[in-house]
Amino acid sequence: MKRLSDRQVSERLPVRKWIPTPMQIRQYAEASGDFNPIHLDDNYARQAGLGGVIAHGMLLMAQMAAMLTDWIGDEGIISKIDVRFEQMVRPRDTILCSGFIRARSEKVLVCDLAAFNERDERVLSGLAHITVN
Amino acid sequence: MLRKELIGRESESVVVKIKPEEVRRFAEATGVPYNDRVPPTFVGTLLHASIAGVELPIVGMIHGEQKITYYRQLRIGEAISYKKRVKDIYDRSGKLGKMTFIVLETIGYDLTGELVFSSSSIIIAPVKEEAQ
Repeated sequence: MKRLSDRQVSERLPVRKWIPTPMQIRQYAEASGDFNPIHLDDNYARQAGLGGVIAHGMLLMAQMAAMLTDWIGDEGIISKIDVRFEQMVRPRDTILCSGFIRARSEKVLVCDLAAFNERDERVLSGLAHITVN
Repeated sequence: MLRKELIGRESESVVVKIKPEEVRRFAEATGVPYNDRVPPTFVGTLLHASIAGVELPIVGMIHGEQKITYYRQLRIGEAISYKKRVKDIYDRSGKLGKMTFIVLETIGYDLTGELVFSSSSIIIAPVKEEAQ
């Protein structure tokens, strides 16, 4: 298998597919302590003008981080991950997390990140720095 | 409610031990393998450092941006001292109407005083015009 240190600019990262469920969102609320009712209570979320419950942004970001850690293995660490939440993610959306290497130095791979839903709307954009061991 | 005077205000430092069962629960909820390396976004669960005058969640707030920087790998069992700070507050008008943007920073050190992570969140909340 190709080592992280041999990866080149413009190479794509393996895509991670994610379909959030109401059960997972509840589990994440419990694991994270973020019980904001916009994630858990459909009526509340509608009244807040969101049209129904939405997934935690941090749960989406965790999927992005998981895509990276799956790819990195133990050859490095995520030294930076910066994201912007661009669209709301709802239970049962199909989200594809993707990225590519934008630039690199000897020790650091700079990756562009993006996630899209099945309607081809970008739900997240961002960048990560992977520091190779 | 969220005035500019809050900019620069800090929480107390809070010391937490990164507990295996909490990381396991987080890993299961997010669908990632569990091992002694703490998942990068786990620091988003460090919610116990409260800043006087900043009561979260604010009704109608959404999460706009999140940045996390690690200076080294954080591992299960480590103790971390972290605190939060209001980095900025500003208003902007957009498609959702007039909104307040709150930039909250969290900095984490290990017990030798070495910087382990820093993170910054942008929270966006609707501006409530207060009745005079």
